[in-house]
Amino acid sequence: MAYTPSRRGLLQAAIATSFAGVGSGCDITTTGRKIVVVGAGLSGLNAALVLERWGFEVEVIEAKERVGGRVWTLDHMPGSPEGGGNVMGANYGRVIHTAHELSVPLRNPPRALPSDYAVGGERILRQHWATSAANPLPEAWRSTPPGRLIAKLNADNPMLSTRAWHEANLMAADQPADEGLKALGFPDAAIRLINANNSYGNNLSETSLMALYRVMGEFGRLSGPALAVKEAVAGNMRLPEAMAARLRRPVALGEPVISINTLSSGVRATLASGQTVEADAAILALPIPALRQIILDLPPSQMAVLDDVDYHKIVQLHCVVDEPFWEATGWGGSWWTDGLLGRVFTRPIPGSTRYNMTIWINGDDCDPLNMLDDAACTDAILQALWQLMPGAKDVTSVGQLVRWSNDPFAGGSWALWRPGQAGQAHGAIRAAAGRLFFAGEHTAEAYRGMEAAMESGERAALEVMRSLA
Amino acid sequence: MMPGRQTRCWLAITACLFAAATRAAPPSGEQLYDIACLSCHSLGDAVDHRVGPPLGGLLNRRAATVKNYRYSEALSASGWSWTLPTLLAWLSDPDTAIPNNAMNYVNPLTAEETQRLGQWLLLQP
Repeated sequence: MAYTPSRRGLLQAAIATSFAGVGSGCDITTTGRKIVVVGAGLSGLNAALVLERWGFEVEVIEAKERVGGRVWTLDHMPGSPEGGGNVMGANYGRVIHTAHELSVPLRNPPRALPSDYAVGGERILRQHWATSAANPLPEAWRSTPPGRLIAKLNADNPMLSTRAWHEANLMAADQPADEGLKALGFPDAAIRLINANNSYGNNLSETSLMALYRVMGEFGRLSGPALAVKEAVAGNMRLPEAMAARLRRPVALGEPVISINTLSSGVRATLASGQTVEADAAILALPIPALRQIILDLPPSQMAVLDDVDYHKIVQLHCVVDEPFWEATGWGGSWWTDGLLGRVFTRPIPGSTRYNMTIWINGDDCDPLNMLDDAACTDAILQALWQLMPGAKDVTSVGQLVRWSNDPFAGGSWALWRPGQAGQAHGAIRAAAGRLFFAGEHTAEAYRGMEAAMESGERAALEVMRSLA
Repeated sequence: MMPGRQTRCWLAITACLFAAATRAAPPSGEQLYDIACLSCHSLGDAVDHRVGPPLGGLLNRRAATVKNYRYSEALSASGWSWTLPTLLAWLSDPDTAIPNNAMNYVNPLTAEETQRLGQWLLLQP
């Protein structure tokens, strides 16, 4: 795709590929070169593209009726907001290059509007945060906005590289983030505020302190205007769609896999439709909660590790706002709250006078919402929104409720590591088992998010090539 | 003219053997570059859209000297030049080789693959 192999490389690929269909008695599709990829998110698609490029026959099977997995652009809404996979980091080399090669244009996203605060039931203008009586922080901490408190970890970050995050020596020093932050001198009020909107754990007592160090170290390395994040102009889902379109064989959509059996010379995937697909190896490129629904021949120890990985909970309510009702009252338009609403991100829709407003709720606060049906969940969030911003009621319409934990093919937004867990678990969940190989953001080492998915696809493809050599 | 049945048979057998030999080969340096490097590094000498610097003409090049590419301070101050030993040290564990570098990368290759990749890379113009 992105690379033009040399003549010799092409010859190798051409010979391997051409033989798959010759039927000469040298049936490559059943002797070492057909791979079934389960999951058409970025990781599975990237693995498939690499393998196709080097002469493998690849069949990608996807449970949903669309490709992209947790990259999901809400195309039916004005502004096409992102329901998942909303940030392309400036250093997401694989994402950026693949978009470039597949003519998926990127841009720097419109900035979210300035954020004010709603803490302890009080609304606080951003310029009054440091002096507000409702600011619960002690004197030395008062000027730090609540969303930036966790960045203070970088004052003493032991992780010299973001690559070292699951190494044994660091894991030995790991502890629950709430205890760790307290030991580092974070005041209780700061820990409470960090816990209110923690994107890297469902609650701080089950969050790995080292995982937080990892994330903050990554942000520290990426700070600065020259390293602005990117998004696809027409929506981030255009990237996996373009990747799928580049494959020789169309992705099989709407085909959940129910089991994968190991055969003497490969694997057999059985689909919910009753069809079976035989291949020489399988790449399981799907999030762990979805993986748990597939019957697999895995060692009990690996199954136990897979069963023990938790996923982050996110509920989003995506709205469209017709008028900037906040301007008359001096509010910025976005909010950081310690209540039900979590954070509210409002940004202008390019080429329009309207705005996308996303209410973004993290972690265990999602539990009661996830118990409700869609209408009741939406109503609960809206009631809180009207209470915070009465002026929003007449000019705001709901476009989409997104609940990743309730999606059976996702089970959450991304893998989380409890204190000390990554040291053993990260290696175990990605370890190849016979002809089964694993990809997905949870298996990546260097990156998180979309780039992690791409990184993992490369690694899984390499493992397959190495294994079948 | 269509080849005769015997010729077709020999062609098939020969091709089978060749294909098997191709499949039996471990990933080549070129394949390893394609899988593990190319998203971030072009060959040649021109900086493009990719987040890493181009890797053409690497042999004996001083580290951090491609024009118009913004390197980390660590790599710029390293004093390294790219030879097989330095390249292998870098590829094997960039953080140990030059701490605080900007290449966020975990090498998924075996030592043998890294060696094969390094040898191939140093030959690229």
